Amino acid sequence: MTLFSKRDALKIMGGAALAGPLVNMQSAFAARESELNILCWEGYNSAQVLDPFRSSKSANVKAESLTNDPTMINRLRAGETKVWDLINVNNPWARKIMHPEGLIKPLPKDEFEPFFAKMLPQFKAPYRWAMSDDGKDLLGMAQRFGPYSFVVNTNKVSRKTAEEQGWDLFNDPSIKGKYGILESDDWNVFDMFLIAGINPFKTHDEKEMEKFTETSKRIFGGAKLVGDIAAMNQALVSGEIDMHLTGGTYSVSPARADGHPELRAVTPLKGPIDGKGGTAWIEITSTVNNPNLSPLALEFLKYVQDPKVAHTVAFAEGTFNPVAQMGTKACFDLFTKEELDAIQYDSLEEEMSRCAEYDIVPDYDKALEILTAAKRAK
Amino acid sequence: MSELTLPHAEERPTGTRLEARSTPAARKKVSRGLLSSLPVLVVLLLGFLAPLATVAAYAFATPRTFDVFRSFTLINFETIFDPANTVWMSFAWSLGFAAATVVVLAIVAYPIAWGLARVFGRWAGFVSVLFVFPLFVSENVRLYGWTLFFIKNGVLDGTLKLLGGAGPEVLYTPGITLFGMVYVYLPFMLFPMVLGLAMVPKELVEAARDLGASRLMIWREVELPLAMPGIMIGMLLTFVLAVGAVAESKILGGQSVIVATHDIEIAFTYAQNWPLGSALALILTIIVGALSLIALTKLDLDRILGRR
Repeated sequence: MTLFSKRDALKIMGGAALAGPLVNMQSAFAARESELNILCWEGYNSAQVLDPFRSSKSANVKAESLTNDPTMINRLRAGETKVWDLINVNNPWARKIMHPEGLIKPLPKDEFEPFFAKMLPQFKAPYRWAMSDDGKDLLGMAQRFGPYSFVVNTNKVSRKTAEEQGWDLFNDPSIKGKYGILESDDWNVFDMFLIAGINPFKTHDEKEMEKFTETSKRIFGGAKLVGDIAAMNQALVSGEIDMHLTGGTYSVSPARADGHPELRAVTPLKGPIDGKGGTAWIEITSTVNNPNLSPLALEFLKYVQDPKVAHTVAFAEGTFNPVAQMGTKACFDLFTKEELDAIQYDSLEEEMSRCAEYDIVPDYDKALEILTAAKRAK
Repeated sequence: MSELTLPHAEERPTGTRLEARSTPAARKKVSRGLLSSLPVLVVLLLGFLAPLATVAAYAFATPRTFDVFRSFTLINFETIFDPANTVWMSFAWSLGFAAATVVVLAIVAYPIAWGLARVFGRWAGFVSVLFVFPLFVSENVRLYGWTLFFIKNGVLDGTLKLLGGAGPEVLYTPGITLFGMVYVYLPFMLFPMVLGLAMVPKELVEAARDLGASRLMIWREVELPLAMPGIMIGMLLTFVLAVGAVAESKILGGQSVIVATHDIEIAFTYAQNWPLGSALALILTIIVGALSLIALTKLDLDRILGRR
């Protein structure tokens, strides 16, 4: 029979008290096996997309949705690479910013490259925006995309007129007070350059910056309102405005799905980006350079390639968008006629062909300062 | 009388007590007190002062970097105070809107507060709930509701059109932003004001009336000074909250003006410039803090209460 003295009992209790938190710490590390944190645009954070994954993997999945790329990138730069497992941003950031800065890590090529074969033709491997600059590493997976220029109420401005006039539509003094501006300031920088007839995706000289300044002041000065997607669609439907920039399938699809087919995203026929006037975005989802990356990150990337899940992503709450996975019949067939109409599938291919792809503006900082000052002076 | 009592007071064992306080045993007692408050102090330091200190430190970091506590520069402030920078406009709008909100609310809330304190009687509780209830609904939802009310072909315009008229074009203007702020911050002015008015003894009002004071005189000489502590707290609370308001100018005002907090938001988001955003936030904090302190010093509550 073993006899414990009071002192022995206290020793054991003390030891247990000290070891307790350590045991918890270990389990906290182990918990990453069933934990996934996603930093994304809205849609991927919806219950429709996440719940089936949560239940099938018994995983604790958290997703935070933001509505601009620069904020997400800065969160990683500020040290949140330890927090997130996946980051979902627009095309140039992975290849041109996040990979060179060591914020993301490449995907196993042999596992993920075959998925590109099942995507729409323009995404065939090696897909430029999913690859590193030297073309060696696969940096992420493509899914949602869309043209993003401006939106018109076709009862007020015909699609033909809008496409033919392109960005010059906003240079017409008669539309003063009849248009809105979406509060996506990074995209608005592109648009002010485009309205000024300048390619945004290059370094600009003093004369071009002067023109950009004048255009920004004039366009913001003439806008009826600046606001979010809900405010733009509300103002379009009510008749407060006839058109708005920046806009596209992404912003107008909820209103179209809600019974307003007269509202339409327009891509100009021509423009100053090597002849192209439209800009398109393609989301790339990458694994964060997290020192303790959850193994579920790769699982989730595979999960969203499934035709059914891809369709859910396309029509998740918030906005509705085409997805690269529509390249397979199994996925395409899941889209109803109404859904295809909401995302303007009828003109998607030709509009994408008239678009340059979203890129980094080398003198963005200076341009944004000018644009913000123009907003203040509105 | 005081001459007589003072020596007595000195005779009391006060000196002994003071001596006792300085004994090592007493010091130990004080340190125990400090020790007991340590958890709260740590929470306050970590939860309240540390974030403020971090923002302050970021304000002196190299622009567009995260070199907080590792770099020191005044360049963010130079950028803000550069004569070519128009960011002062945002500060002017924020402070102007806040001041206007306080003035409008003081006028609007006073009669309601007077009613709650004096007139509504047993209905006062119910009326108070009506004013509190909107606070349970998200501010953004309430503001979008007002947008639907004022928008073209919306509730107001649509109804007036049915009657052969048309609604006023008030959306997306600075005026509607002010309306939104007055609407959102009404409870924050109202309830301190009710407390202030409830502090006015009815007997004093009746005495003033018995002595022949007019209604205006009673209000000016009795009611207002005695209710002033509550009114001042309401004004200060409303001002501080309104300076930080951004949703009203975004949702109702259609960003017809950019307020200071919106500029801070742009710096932290699209501009990827946390140090600049922190410098702007620090300046706004200092301005609001200084104005609040000046207001509290100038409008001394004790003097208002007639205690000096």
